[in-house]
Amino acid sequence: MPFHLLFRNVTGHWLRSLLTILSVAVAVFLICVLNAVVSGLTRTVSAAASNRLLVQSAVSLYVDLPMAYQQKLAAVPGVEAICKWQWFGGRYEQDKGGFFAQFGIDAEPFRTSYPEITIAEGSYEEFAKNRTACIVGRDTATKYGWKVGQTVPILGTIFQRTDGQPWQFTIAGIYVSDTPTIDQQTMYFRFDYLRESLEQGGAQGPEGVGLYMLRVAPGADPVAVQSAADALFENGPQRVQTTTEAEFNRQFVTMLGDVPTLMQMVGSAVLFAIFFAVLNTMIMAGRERTKDIGILKALGFSDAVTAGLLIGESLLLCALGAVVGIGLGVALEPAFQASVSAMMPGFAFDRSTLLLGAGLALGIGLVSGIVPGLRAARLTTVAALREVG
Amino acid sequence: MTDSTIEIRRLTKAYQRGGETLRVLDELDLHMDAGTFYALMGPSGSGKTTLLNLIGGLDVADTGDVIIGGENLSNYSGSQLARWRAENVGFVFQGFNLLPVLSARENVELPLMLSPLKKRERRAQAERALELVGLTDRMDHKPRELSGGQEQRVAIARAIATDPTLILADEPTGDLDRTTANQVLQLLQRLNRELKKTILMVTHDPEAAGYADKVIHLDKGKLGRIEDNRKLAGKA
Repeated sequence: MPFHLLFRNVTGHWLRSLLTILSVAVAVFLICVLNAVVSGLTRTVSAAASNRLLVQSAVSLYVDLPMAYQQKLAAVPGVEAICKWQWFGGRYEQDKGGFFAQFGIDAEPFRTSYPEITIAEGSYEEFAKNRTACIVGRDTATKYGWKVGQTVPILGTIFQRTDGQPWQFTIAGIYVSDTPTIDQQTMYFRFDYLRESLEQGGAQGPEGVGLYMLRVAPGADPVAVQSAADALFENGPQRVQTTTEAEFNRQFVTMLGDVPTLMQMVGSAVLFAIFFAVLNTMIMAGRERTKDIGILKALGFSDAVTAGLLIGESLLLCALGAVVGIGLGVALEPAFQASVSAMMPGFAFDRSTLLLGAGLALGIGLVSGIVPGLRAARLTTVAALREVG
Repeated sequence: MTDSTIEIRRLTKAYQRGGETLRVLDELDLHMDAGTFYALMGPSGSGKTTLLNLIGGLDVADTGDVIIGGENLSNYSGSQLARWRAENVGFVFQGFNLLPVLSARENVELPLMLSPLKKRERRAQAERALELVGLTDRMDHKPRELSGGQEQRVAIARAIATDPTLILADEPTGDLDRTTANQVLQLLQRLNRELKKTILMVTHDPEAAGYADKVIHLDKGKLGRIEDNRKLAGKA
């Protein structure tokens, strides 16, 4: 096989080759991103703890549950601990366009129920002691340069202070997480601080609790706990829906629709578009080289070699595109993780994603090369040499 | 193959054109001696290029035999013909037919890739061939950087690089001016006289045919007269 001829054919039409490589690179990059989203969602759902149940309004996640439910839920047999979760929806005063989640939680049950959270700086005890304290994920702390002991002003959108001032939270600790179920961007503050502010007229906003987390005792049957919790409020005043953490995550992820299917559809469309683009390039290349094919055959090169040159060229272009696309993905992975980790802590360009991108690119290269390759193999020497050009 | 005597027996080739069968070669019989420079002449459509293609194993006859050096090409498969061409034939075309992305040296080296020679040996042999055609100073030039005459000389160097016994040239001077054409014809004549190559050259040009030892005339797919230029020269 005259490999130098293969390389010269690629470099001989450098602009066309470059554009083909770039289009394959963009496609590989997009496919990697889409696959990382799907894998991230799957990882987030599958990493959920089996001993945590979440109780929400049967109407919608946006409808709060009464405070009075806590006692009744805590009394359900098999419930070891209960923790309130309230979505705060605030904005950091210095970066009103930026986003990170804030939740009001119960400090003690939260600590014992979420062992995946580790305090990297500061102390959880300080958080549990101080009513206005909070703990912040490392990514957000790094993004804003926050330090332990610093007070950060958060403007409430759902819960607004009556004096018009932002809420002041003192950072007691910076946490890290070792599972995708808990991201490293969220701020957790004490629910009782929010509650007292509302009761004392210092703030206004909806009363109630967004979610109750029930920790199931070791040996207890989560399904039984789930049924018992739902049965408690079967007749009102407000019906609840109790789900496992995995199911809750799955529902949360699919609130916008069937994201994995959507991603796969977009990925398939990208794949087809790029396949036709590369196929078109290779068919053009094959037609342009009809005479070259005739010359090679006249000199004694076999049909397999002439076909192999075109298939090899197509594979080379797609392989280079895959390298560029994967390299781009790896280079931009930290930026992607920083921007999507709140919604999808499991987002990552793992090895299977990169292999998928490379495999698809090579598959496109092979199929796109086979079409002109077969034509080259079937061409008779005389017919190929007769080609003008 | 050391002997390149060509035996053509009852050779027939027809093409389908617009629903009609066009008989280009009609039961042609011909004998060509090894080591002789032949010119093949005739009007357009007389079957010159078809005959050249059949002798070179580029095409397959409908009936009849092409026997070269005792080997009957009619019995060969496509891949056997390709191997036979690589070992025994050098081609020179009217339009030069060099690969535009390769340099002169790489073009000449191309047929040598089918030989068992190592890279360094191939390179040396390609350079020797280019030296023979007087292009030592143009080895690294691409075809577009060469004149028509230089391109044809590269094509001749490529044709002789594997040291074939038979050189087939299809209108090798068709795209060249008279002076350059004469230089190319002198080169072919040298290859015949000094290296004892059998050369079969298709041409329309009587002046070009004058460089050959013998001129074969074809007409409507049949053999016409055969002129012996050496005898004519002797008489003159």
